[in-house]
Amino acid sequence: MQVNRLYSVLLVTALLGGGVGTTLAADAKAADPKVVEVQKMIDGAEKARKKAASVDSEWRDTGKFIKQAQAALKAGDYDKAMKLARKAEDEGNLGYQQGVSQQELHLPSYLKY
Amino acid sequence: MKKLLNRVAVLAIAGTVSMGAQATTPEEDRNAFNKLYKWRFSGVPMEEFVNGAYAIDPIGRENWEAIEEFPPYEPFIDEGEVMWETPFANGKGYKDCFPDGPAIAGNYPHWDKEQGMVMTLPLALNQCREANGEKPLKYKKGSITNIVAYTAFQSRGQVTNVVIPDDDPRALAAYENGRKFYFTRRGQLNFSCSTCHLQNTGMKVRTEILSPTLGQTTHWPTYRSKWGTVGTLHRRFTGCNKNIRAKPFKAQGEQYRNLEYFLTYMSNGLELNGPGARK
Ligand code: HEC
Repeated sequence: MQVNRLYSVLLVTALLGGGVGTTLAADAKAADPKVVEVQKMIDGAEKARKKAASVDSEWRDTGKFIKQAQAALKAGDYDKAMKLARKAEDEGNLGYQQGVSQQELHLPSYLKY
Repeated sequence: MKKLLNRVAVLAIAGTVSMGAQATTPEEDRNAFNKLYKWRFSGVPMEEFVNGAYAIDPIGRENWEAIEEFPPYEPFIDEGEVMWETPFANGKGYKDCFPDGPAIAGNYPHWDKEQGMVMTLPLALNQCREANGEKPLKYKKGSITNIVAYTAFQSRGQVTNVVIPDDDPRALAAYENGRKFYFTRRGQLNFSCSTCHLQNTGMKVRTEILSPTLGQTTHWPTYRSKWGTVGTLHRRFTGCNKNIRAKPFKAQGEQYRNLEYFLTYMSNGLELNGPGARK
């Protein structure tokens, strides 16, 4: 019975694994300073992704990288999680910069009026 | 003059479109597009642009003409007709929402003043369903494409005639947002719609010839061999956004509806020939 409970908790955790933010598993390991550090990086990436989205300029895979980072963190693969989080944060920042740079309409010179 | 004043008012509202040389009217935009494509494809008659890449690619055209002999979209039209004829659970049906019959594609997209938004055909069909207690259909594939295929087929021969009414500055703002979307670079590849379909139209990307924007809206839904089924215009937008590694927007969300408004306006004067078939 107990074991069953444990399994269902694990299952739920795995299912939620796609989600972003602090999860059950991360909570359980929260005492580990490394986990806290990586989670912070992932949260930073998520913030950058949202910033890009706020100017309609999110890139295709940024959210996917964040989910993968979260999953890697849960699996204890900190290096992989950090790498993915860094990549996602870069993409978020670049997407935002791109969106801001495009805020003004510039009709291209090859279109002749 | 009134047009100009309207435009100034809209610019003040929108705030994102720069003034001066960029302040062009929709008609000026359309003429500039026409001019570019006429110059780029000088041998192609205007009415041919409804055939997309096949208007400018003789080899692709041969394959396409063979496909059109046994149109792969036909079963979807038939299914759509059944949907049109079948009453909802409450006894009413599409016919009650659209009393003029199924040949209505030429009325879309249009500015819906009451709702303050661009109304598209798939959205109108779903609003009809919801008003009658039915669940809305998904917007990219599935049975929405049947009913749209049926209405498209019934509407063949109608002429694209998108109107941007003078009496509501929000309509022009929606058009301008769509235009802005079209020229905005997005995604990791930093491409805009215009990079491919205006600047590089006629060039090849992998195995595909980039079609002109002119005529891109006349033939939806479209059977795509790559999809193995029929999909909507907004599904195609999604694909083009993903190809440049940008996160796509919601089908029938504001961005894509405004884009459709602008894009369809560019094709004003061209005949509707949906459903279509493409590679
Ligand atoms: C990387 C280049 C590229 C970009 C950028 C791009 N597309 Fe496309 N698009 C294609 C290719 C390739 C096809 C398939 C061949 C064709 O029909 O042009 C296509 C097809 C289409 C079609 C279907 C044409 C038809 O005849 O059925 C539409 C509509 C379309 N694109 C709209 C857009 C819009 C709107 C944007 C901007 C959001 C966009 N595309 C951005 C490459 C691109």
